[in-house]
Amino acid sequence: MSNLVNVTVTINGEERSAEVEPRMLLVHFIRDVLGITGSHIGCDTSQCGNCTILVDGRAAKSCTLLAVHVDGSELITVEGLGTVENLHPVQRGFWEEHGLQCGYCTPGAMIASIELLAQNPTPTDEEIREGLEGVICRCTGYEFIVNAVRRASEIMREENAVKGVK
Amino acid sequence: MSKLVGQRMKRKEDPKLITGNATYLDDLKIPNLLHAYILRSPHPHANIKSIHKDKALAHPGVVAVYTGKDLEGKINPVPTSWKVPGMNLIETAQYPLAIDTARYVGDGVAMVIASDRYAAEDAAELVEVEYEVLPSISNQKEARKEGAPQIYDEVPNNTAFTYIAGEVTDADIDGAEVVIRGNYSTQRVAPSPMETRNSLAQYNPGNGELKLYVGSQNPHIHRMVLSEVLDFPEHRLQVKVADMGGGFGGKIGVYPDEALVSYAAIDLKRPVKWVETRNEHFQSANAGRDMMVDVELAGTKDGKITAIRVVNHANIGAYLATFGPGNPTIDFGLMVSGPYKIPKAQVTTYGMYTNTMSVDSYRGAGKPEVTFMLERAVSDFAKEIGMDPVEVRKLNFAQKEEFPFTNAQGLVYDSGDYDKALDRAVEIADYEKLRQEQKMALGEGRYIGIGISSYVELSGFGPSAVAGGIGFQGGIWENSTVRVHPTGKVTVFTGTSPHGQGHDTTFTQIVADKLGIPYEDINFVFNDTKAVSMGWGTYGSRSLAVGGNAVALSTDKVIEKGRIVAAHLLQSEVENVAFEKGVYFVKSDPTMRKTFQEIAKAANFAWDMPEGIEPGLEEKTFFDPSNFTYPFGTHIVVVEVDPETGHVEILRYISVDDSGKIVNPLVAEGQILGAVAQGVGQALWEEIKYDEKGQLQTGSFMDYTMPKARFFPKIEMDFTETLSPVNQLGSKGVAESGVTGSIAATANAVMDALAPFNVENISIPLTPEKVWRAIQKGEGKQ
Amino acid sequence: MDIKHTHKFKALSAQQVWDTIQNPEVLKAVLPGCKTFDEVGDEQYKAVLGINMGPIKGEFTADVEQVDKNEPTSYRLLVKASGKPGEIDANALMELEEVDGNTELTCTADVAATGLMATIGQRMIGGVAKVVLKQFFKDIEKKAKQ
Repeated sequence: MSNLVNVTVTINGEERSAEVEPRMLLVHFIRDVLGITGSHIGCDTSQCGNCTILVDGRAAKSCTLLAVHVDGSELITVEGLGTVENLHPVQRGFWEEHGLQCGYCTPGAMIASIELLAQNPTPTDEEIREGLEGVICRCTGYEFIVNAVRRASEIMREENAVKGVK
Repeated sequence: MSKLVGQRMKRKEDPKLITGNATYLDDLKIPNLLHAYILRSPHPHANIKSIHKDKALAHPGVVAVYTGKDLEGKINPVPTSWKVPGMNLIETAQYPLAIDTARYVGDGVAMVIASDRYAAEDAAELVEVEYEVLPSISNQKEARKEGAPQIYDEVPNNTAFTYIAGEVTDADIDGAEVVIRGNYSTQRVAPSPMETRNSLAQYNPGNGELKLYVGSQNPHIHRMVLSEVLDFPEHRLQVKVADMGGGFGGKIGVYPDEALVSYAAIDLKRPVKWVETRNEHFQSANAGRDMMVDVELAGTKDGKITAIRVVNHANIGAYLATFGPGNPTIDFGLMVSGPYKIPKAQVTTYGMYTNTMSVDSYRGAGKPEVTFMLERAVSDFAKEIGMDPVEVRKLNFAQKEEFPFTNAQGLVYDSGDYDKALDRAVEIADYEKLRQEQKMALGEGRYIGIGISSYVELSGFGPSAVAGGIGFQGGIWENSTVRVHPTGKVTVFTGTSPHGQGHDTTFTQIVADKLGIPYEDINFVFNDTKAVSMGWGTYGSRSLAVGGNAVALSTDKVIEKGRIVAAHLLQSEVENVAFEKGVYFVKSDPTMRKTFQEIAKAANFAWDMPEGIEPGLEEKTFFDPSNFTYPFGTHIVVVEVDPETGHVEILRYISVDDSGKIVNPLVAEGQILGAVAQGVGQALWEEIKYDEKGQLQTGSFMDYTMPKARFFPKIEMDFTETLSPVNQLGSKGVAESGVTGSIAATANAVMDALAPFNVENISIPLTPEKVWRAIQKGEGKQ
Repeated sequence: MDIKHTHKFKALSAQQVWDTIQNPEVLKAVLPGCKTFDEVGDEQYKAVLGINMGPIKGEFTADVEQVDKNEPTSYRLLVKASGKPGEIDANALMELEEVDGNTELTCTADVAATGLMATIGQRMIGGVAKVVLKQFFKDIEKKAKQ
């Protein structure tokens, strides 16, 4: 096809480039073109937040952007948060507090939580619940996600280190 | 004795899931992959006059387009797997693609296969379908009336089945001192796992094997049913489930879609993938509930319930789903007396075909519906006779010394202590004080409501003889194999199919405790019909109660075989060898010892085996429990209703559940929390809406209210522990308790808050609009 | 779904409104997103309309027919439109009544939708339709006064 557009991004620290149709959604670009599949698709109307990633340090639902929108941007997905050996505080919080069951919404929920904690490092439970507005989870009833974010906040204070957010 | 069972272990599953190392079906990277798009009927009921696919076939990237006519005679109809006997069940043919007539919005009419998902969807727009729109209907009560649009010629009055259980006479009702009559219906909702349905089929023409990845809670049922639908030999069909993003009953069903994808892969000899969109999910994934329930509950003025008679119009959709006929009959009908000693009970269920998507299991499947009905009616009964709802419940409960207790429909409850759970909930809630606070608040013009619901759940499906009796087309035992490798590491194979429930963790706790080996030394394999010999899957809160016990039993057998080997090597007698903390030793001389790992190696090498003992250390169990398990509990909800807006705020939520022995409290609590959110969602917000003709109106999360974090307070949760006598662990199901307890508790709380307005019964979901209207219609503001 | 909307055409007679609203050229100019509007038979028209309403975007091909004409007081408009977002089947009664030197036009429509249109955001349709109709009649009013 002739109307392809070049998109170059830095994703999880690696520069990647591809020719894509202008109508391609960012989430499809990341998953299908770049093959980085940790961010998931849970709806088609931008409600669920399962595809939330960091775009230049800010959380964004990657289904609400076109790939061409983020040309030149720095993207971080769940794969770029932390490794099993060296987990991000939010990942640790989710694990320790059983903040996930099936795990499908979890990458997006964790990134939304990173944004939440960047805005408000010591949120109350009520503020966490408000901050999770963009996340739909069907498994947990959210309570253990709230605990996870609270725990992450504690760990971050302990470590005083926030990765992934500028 | 046990070290790990009972502990709040962090889950083994999680490191993979939180680092992006999971592989869900759509994450699989398969070369040469084709993508399927299923074109669906936009009409609730229409004859398909013609389909022209030339333009679609000419679209770049398109490989094939199939219509129902193309597949006629090549794929069999998709059957139901629950043929309840004695109810004149009329099963109609559900072809994977509609051939002549589409019967609901979402019924597949054509499938486009293309090189990528965009091309497939674009080309589907070019498929020209000419429809002749037919009269249609969505409401199951209306569908039963004379003159209603007929969905099938062969189904008079659209009635797929009529089920009657128990007998209550008019005299039993009319002669009673008090009769509560009401409609306590449970609306249609969407199970809504965050990962929608999907399938990916790969066919190898070289060996004739078909490998199907599918979003399934029961891969072996999928294999068995699809082998019949496709006329494909079962032993060459491998069904695998990748990491799966939830199910909640919505992925029990064997759907047309996976049959279509399988067919295309075989036909085209290339791998084919289909991933459902959320809009499609609302159209064509099995819905839950949708039971219109009318009840007559009879009792005495001093609070004894004497009889209950129920008529349930169950909407089963346009076709019978996999478990569709069982939920509103067996699960609903036999549990109608709940935790109470009600002498007489009758349930009549009409299974009604309508021009809507099929209805199948959704978390609880029949029990939330029947519990909602009963607990709303019991609370209304209490109100009618001026008795506290707590007192009425306690007055009618089966007593703990009466177990095993036979309910009004003849089911034998394994164990229970209903008062204990209720008393604990009342204690946590500080019920008396709450009632005082409620009165004081009313004085200040605040409308606080307190709702209570007690329940008993039927879980842990088994034994299989019962399955036969109720027409369930399969067994309900569970299988496990415990394989000990030469190094003493262990792989366990189970027929249950976890997709978020944490079996990997909880089952490992069981095995590690028994074998006394490190937690890390145990791995699980499930969700693969090639690896696991047989199994019946994960639903009905059966995984721990049946599957977990199968694992425990196989582990016991491994220990016993190891003991024989150890006795031989230690030159002792089997009965003189003990096994503790991973070591076999001679009781009279504990220095004479062999570790489990040493025995594993010895058995696998088999250089020196006892006479008549085969090499290897691997044991298998098919565990068929002697009875179901019956979890129970009481939930108390406190709400405040804003009469100006109708908004319902949940102030407190108290749950006390009894699931017998709990292996991992963290995981069990997670199950309760998730289920409570779904039950409260049903009570207050969620609803799939069709217009009267069957046009779907809720096709997205914009139209369908999914519960969000800010909708809930912190849940005040506790458990009581009444062991089940029917399995080794003493465990009962836990996954459906939260939803079964929560719907009526929430609705009762709202109705209690609205009592000053003298409102009539409001149907759930109790949305602000409905609550506000009811207040306006009631006695108005005071 | 029933939609009812009344517009008051100030200082215009029913005949003036009638003449304007019956003029295909005017309709083509004021119909939202109208790309073509061609007469294909007696009181029968074919139109291509672009619709952009929240999540529903797409081009519709519409067959429009006018029946039961009762100049200048009433007529019935039958619209069958189809496009990627679904199909719309509308039956609208248009009634004109002169009141105090103004003309009130009341549109009473029964609209059935299928497809994405119906399954997503159907509950918005009523509201959006009112906005669109209001704009449509305002534009007609402008044209009538030209």
